[in-house]
Amino acid sequence: MTTEKKDVNNSEISNFQTNINNPLLKVDNVTKIFTKGQGFSKSTLTAVNKASFTLNADNPEIFTIAGESGSGKSTIAKLILGFEQVSSGDIFYDGINIDDIKGKKLKTKFMKEVQPIFQNPFETFNPLKKADTYLFETAKNFKMGEKNKEQIIEDALELVGLTLKEIRNKYPSEMSGGQLQRVSIARALITKPSLLIADEPVSMIDASLRMSIVNLFKKLKEETGISVIYITHDLATAYYVSDRISIMLRGQIVEMGPVEKVLDDPLHPYTELLKNSVPEPEPNDEWSKEISLSDMETKEFSREGCKFAGRCDKELDKCKKVEPDYVKIDDRIVKCHLYKN
Amino acid sequence: MSILEVKNLKAYYITQKYGHINKVKAVDGVSFEVNKNEIYGIAGESGCGKSTLLKAVNGLSKPPLQILEGEVIYNFEDRTMNILGLKEEKQRREIRGISISNVPQGSMNVLNPVRRIERSFKDFIGAHKNIKDKEKFESMVRKHLSALGLDWDVMKAFPHQLSGGMRQRVTIALATILKPEIVFADEPTTALDVVVQRGVVQLIKKIKKEQKNTVIMVTHDMAIHANLCDRIAIMYAGKIVEEGDVDVIFNNALHPYTRLLLESLPRMGDKSPRVSAPGSPPSLTNVPSGCRFHPRCKYSSEHCKEEIPELKEVKNGHRVACFLEEVEK
Repeated sequence: MTTEKKDVNNSEISNFQTNINNPLLKVDNVTKIFTKGQGFSKSTLTAVNKASFTLNADNPEIFTIAGESGSGKSTIAKLILGFEQVSSGDIFYDGINIDDIKGKKLKTKFMKEVQPIFQNPFETFNPLKKADTYLFETAKNFKMGEKNKEQIIEDALELVGLTLKEIRNKYPSEMSGGQLQRVSIARALITKPSLLIADEPVSMIDASLRMSIVNLFKKLKEETGISVIYITHDLATAYYVSDRISIMLRGQIVEMGPVEKVLDDPLHPYTELLKNSVPEPEPNDEWSKEISLSDMETKEFSREGCKFAGRCDKELDKCKKVEPDYVKIDDRIVKCHLYKN
Repeated sequence: MSILEVKNLKAYYITQKYGHINKVKAVDGVSFEVNKNEIYGIAGESGCGKSTLLKAVNGLSKPPLQILEGEVIYNFEDRTMNILGLKEEKQRREIRGISISNVPQGSMNVLNPVRRIERSFKDFIGAHKNIKDKEKFESMVRKHLSALGLDWDVMKAFPHQLSGGMRQRVTIALATILKPEIVFADEPTTALDVVVQRGVVQLIKKIKKEQKNTVIMVTHDMAIHANLCDRIAIMYAGKIVEEGDVDVIFNNALHPYTRLLLESLPRMGDKSPRVSAPGSPPSLTNVPSGCRFHPRCKYSSEHCKEEIPELKEVKNGHRVACFLEEVEK
């Protein structure tokens, strides 16, 4: 197999993935800058820095965004859901820029089709409200099955392996975390969405129940054709469940491609560090090499060159000063000086 | 020689409401021994009583947590004591921080947000040792930090200026500065991402090597146990169901729960389908009769519903609480 290397600029990246002509979601060169303080003490933090990726509507997939905490992965989710406004760049959903989604009709359509799932099921639900009211309210708000709401809810619950009888008249405190997270997924499924945005959906769930949630995403993709953006720092579940992965570091996507390729044979030194840091459940396979950690997050965010330069063991002279460009290698892209032609 | 012996410990949360007594049997008849200079892991799902066990062993039980039975015996270098037998809080204070120390979960809630790290160190050391000399204090902290590979600069920082991983490492440094003989770590890596997690594991190993102390590690993450521990105990619904060397548990587990737990773990480079354990963990107010795992176990029989299996030794130090093992013998 010949390796094809090609330098690409930022705006090309979102288009490069195997000629997608019918994009479901297109994130194009998106930047989000948060400012804090006022006057002289004003400072800015670039939480998402020129991120681009595209999901194909014809071919549903599970797309993972992985990275350390503070890498901007949750901010991307918020931008797509419209909770935050982009500072520059565009996000297109089904061909429409989400900034232009105004008016009740368009907004309802967007909210119907793009549904979120949050991290902590115990915080998603109001402890004083019965969990099933969320299901009925969602059905009511989106006018789903006005005559037989129960049937629609029952169908959504069946997909996640629950029945209405099991959860009826129960408060969130009466259910386990895994059950609640499944109710939360069922709620998102009531509106028959085409895109789910799951922000760390399993990090608060016990190890023994975690796989049931992850398997659920796989099943939803295969059976109902829903695309999922799976945001996580757990590379082991990401490898298990996803089709494509993008690795984020301090707001930038540093590597993106099919999950087997990216994680089996990482190109970017940061991806390699992430991969090697995943603890394997093998007692004889202990970490031997020592690693250096970042001490001050702000230092890395404001660095001009590659954000990983201070911790990288393959550092070149220019890494600290010049920001690397994206390089396309086969069907993945990597942002690193090592692979420049 | 074992440095810590826990014998038949029972710790319940007992609350009373309108004359109705509610008992949460968080730790129900737990016995184990920890050898000197080893890393002993305690694994289990949330709500299985791991943290309550640590509290009881530390002598930190406050109502509604009550210790009904059992002994917790420490064999320190210079003295032997049963921490539950001590009447006064003052006596327990003499052990905590000096001979035993605790690394808590969630480092962001531990350090005072409006004080520099230096002040937290001063407070901690001042509470246990009388060091008035500023230079002596500085040299002691400097030596400890450099041994752990931390920068002196962190002492002048406020907690919010440090990243989550750095804060966790500072908390570990704080807990171990007086060179305790036993370090208890309660989920020190949960809520941290993989790279930082590796850094923390690295640090715990380093401390153990430097100070030659015993570490008791509580976490639900089996992969961390595999990397760090010498021996592990698996807890389920307030009881230890299996205990053994880390190699034995990971390669030759006998209890059906341990096996299910290990089979559900995803591994890198392996996309074959994996399933979770069926059902969900029981509530500790209303535990199943007999073996507590029987409603979720595919091997369960009538016998399992009626009688509670005891934790019995199968082979050199490998202990299992399951009737299956007895039948096979």
